[in-house]
Amino acid sequence: MLGKGTRTVLAVLLAAAALQAAFRKEDVRVHTLDNGLKVLLLEDRDIPNVALYTFFRVGSRNERPGTTGLSHFLEHMMFNGTARFGPGEFDRVMEFRGGANNAWTSEDMTVYTDWFPASALEAMLDLEADRMQGLAFDPEVFESERGVVASERRMAVENNNEGLLAESVQATAVMAHPYHWSVIGWMSDILSWSLDDISLYYRTFYAPNNAVLVLVGDFDAASAMDLIKKHYGSIPSSPPPPPVTTVEPEQLGPRLTVIRKEAQAPSFLMAYHAPACSGEDYPALAALEKALLDGESSRLYRRLVREEKLALAVGGGMQETIDPFLFTIAVKPRPGADLDRLEAVIEEELARLSAVGLTEREFKKALNIIRSDFYAGLQTIAGQATLLGLAELLYGSYEHAFTIMNRYDALSLDKIGEAAARTFAPEKKTVGKLIPQGGTR
Amino acid sequence: MKHRSAAAVVAVGLAILLAATGPSAGATLPVPQKIVLENGLTVFYVPDPELPLISLRLLIPGAGSAHEPGEFEGLAGLTAELTLKGTASLSAEAIAEELDFMGAGLRVFAAAEYAQVSAFSLAEHFPRLLEIAAASLSGAAFPDEEFARERSRAMDALAAAKDNPMQAVRLYFQKAYFGSHPLGRLASGTKSSLDRMTVRDARRFHGERYRPERAVAAVVGDIGRAELEALLGRTLGVWKKSEAPAALSDLPPLPEPRGKKLLLVDKPDATQAYFVLGAPGFGVADEVFPQASVMNTLFGGRFTSRLNTELRIKRGLTYGVRSSFESWRAGGVGTVSSYTRNEKIGEMLDITLEQLAAARTEGFSAEEVESGRNYILGQFPLSLESNANKAAAVARLAFYGQGFDFYDRYLDAVRAASPEAVGASASRLLPGGDFVLVVVGKAEEVRPLLRKFGEFEEKKISDPDF
Repeated sequence: MLGKGTRTVLAVLLAAAALQAAFRKEDVRVHTLDNGLKVLLLEDRDIPNVALYTFFRVGSRNERPGTTGLSHFLEHMMFNGTARFGPGEFDRVMEFRGGANNAWTSEDMTVYTDWFPASALEAMLDLEADRMQGLAFDPEVFESERGVVASERRMAVENNNEGLLAESVQATAVMAHPYHWSVIGWMSDILSWSLDDISLYYRTFYAPNNAVLVLVGDFDAASAMDLIKKHYGSIPSSPPPPPVTTVEPEQLGPRLTVIRKEAQAPSFLMAYHAPACSGEDYPALAALEKALLDGESSRLYRRLVREEKLALAVGGGMQETIDPFLFTIAVKPRPGADLDRLEAVIEEELARLSAVGLTEREFKKALNIIRSDFYAGLQTIAGQATLLGLAELLYGSYEHAFTIMNRYDALSLDKIGEAAARTFAPEKKTVGKLIPQGGTR
Repeated sequence: MKHRSAAAVVAVGLAILLAATGPSAGATLPVPQKIVLENGLTVFYVPDPELPLISLRLLIPGAGSAHEPGEFEGLAGLTAELTLKGTASLSAEAIAEELDFMGAGLRVFAAAEYAQVSAFSLAEHFPRLLEIAAASLSGAAFPDEEFARERSRAMDALAAAKDNPMQAVRLYFQKAYFGSHPLGRLASGTKSSLDRMTVRDARRFHGERYRPERAVAAVVGDIGRAELEALLGRTLGVWKKSEAPAALSDLPPLPEPRGKKLLLVDKPDATQAYFVLGAPGFGVADEVFPQASVMNTLFGGRFTSRLNTELRIKRGLTYGVRSSFESWRAGGVGTVSSYTRNEKIGEMLDITLEQLAAARTEGFSAEEVESGRNYILGQFPLSLESNANKAAAVARLAFYGQGFDFYDRYLDAVRAASPEAVGASASRLLPGGDFVLVVVGKAEEVRPLLRKFGEFEEKKISDPDF
């Protein structure tokens, strides 16, 4: 939940701002294959490279207790061999041809990101289409990769106080919905999931009708489409995966989670419930988030870091998600800071926001930040591919990326204040504290 | 967000290799236009009207941490931080408010050899952004209260850094490797050095060192030349040059470890052990750079690298392992870093040393070298896509006087790198028996596993400083 910056997230919201010729809806070619694979193509010849992004509609929200973290583990296994290409071949072939890649998993999706010279286009489409249908699960490789993911979890959670606290706050604030657990999953699940678990998961969620392909860069759209049909056309579609039906019940009282461990400095994280990205209050809260948390002029930075000297840094905010998730306020307290005082200051500021809302200038500031972030994302083929794919998965159509600024046109200062009052009610908060213990201080 | 590859744990030093890592034809740096202001500031300009954005990068020689007085470790860093904390007419809060209002970014930080200013904004806000930057660079006021606050924040941040072993191991390594050499100074300072500093020290350092005549800047983005010249003239152009510029001394030669220097830092709550192993690298102007880039790519710079193959792909010991080189004018350092659960640290280090020895003595096959070359050439254009990256590259090349055809020459040399030359760079740069190794982990579990590598000095994470 943390760690996913609000930067990328909000960037999508912006796509409609004064559009430059460099990024126009008319330039996006769209095609859906018979097997349900949706393809978005955008030519951009600034550099002789291509960004090929594959978005699958599966993330930790599709998991169940016992197999938490499986979406992310499958992301790792996608590089470990198919019937045609042995373990490691994907990366070897790709890197030999000058390509690089990464992948990421969130609560809602799994995304494979390839960047390569234009000359490698067909080879990359061949590799990607192959692993969408023919993944093999070698038991030895499976065990080795389990170790990698366990190491990743130790790095990001067990040996990272902010990660540890975030996981605990998330699990306290969200009780019923699968957003209860973090994307990496519980350690005991990582250590016990089986080959059957992962192969069933792959068959359920990895199919052309559950994916979106986005290409941005140096290619001819018509020829690229022919290549896509050639390599992906014969992949069979699958029955639609089961829907996620759990609805988080309303929170009726404040919650607290405390971690005591050896540390030099405490950690502090507060969470309230945020709407889904398509929810009515989302734009209001996205604007408010800037005034509250973004930069050294933000309300909480001024109060906590500058005036009261309780904290070293302030962060948090919302994440664009399919289902309602959290609005977080993450504070790095100074060693020895009074955490009760810190919490009281935050509540004061939230109460003021709920009563009075933002100033006109704060609202303009939020819009400037959002516009600036949006254009920054358009500078790269990777940024454009991300924008288009996220719009498609989170809002149902890439077109949303070009019109969503209208949501801000409809905003008013009154509406922002009302959204704040609905969100920051005292009975809906969850407070998390990591309190240093032991010999170090 | 769960990055699959080790890219998320890129060592600081790798930035240089990445920034300079190589392309295919037709995608190198545009040749910038040169504008010299009356006060001597040289600005290199690349127009790019595609998006309404502009980036600035400005490097000030002599204002980095390697040039601060030895007793005031961290002074350059603190001075950089305080540069944006108020002028005669603008308070720190007013500066922050204006920058945030525009959705703009402005940062000053101290690298070793220079202070670096990075800025970006929407084109419509760039004039105001430059006004604020110029006012701060030429007339930072260093209010007492801001000094006290930032100094105390810096001290607390040092304590907090020890909770993150990945960050802490880097700081311990910098100290262990460089010792009293100027490159051993932490930009953040140490508790004792921060204690000694006063606001007068920061004011003096700023007054002497933040001067335009030797500084270089790059501006990339959506602005015309005439408009830019006028804007520069009334902003950075009024920054006063020195009456008598201070002589800039070169850094002393970098340390060259003889034998093994081993340090274990006890972090009793750690469930993973983190290590950095380092040895001499190469200076900025060293011609080995292209061959070393190919070598580093193959050894520990990409997903299928030898280190990642052995430690992650084959054995599942770690999420990330990386080798990288960092270069300064006077020399450089190469490092390997990774982490694994406490009980596996011995195995991890055994394999790392085996791989170092194999690469040193056997080099790389023709097919590997071809793959490494293709990778660098194929990825290079992506490294110069954004205005900020172009500005950073232009300013760096200007600062080190490498010429704006540097990348073309670099890429030609990469294209021509033979297995023999790549192997020779491995023999020269990868350490055999002479290195510095720092491990942060739970000593009780890790100590017995480390014994076979030699005698480790030990520190506790809770001991003051690094």
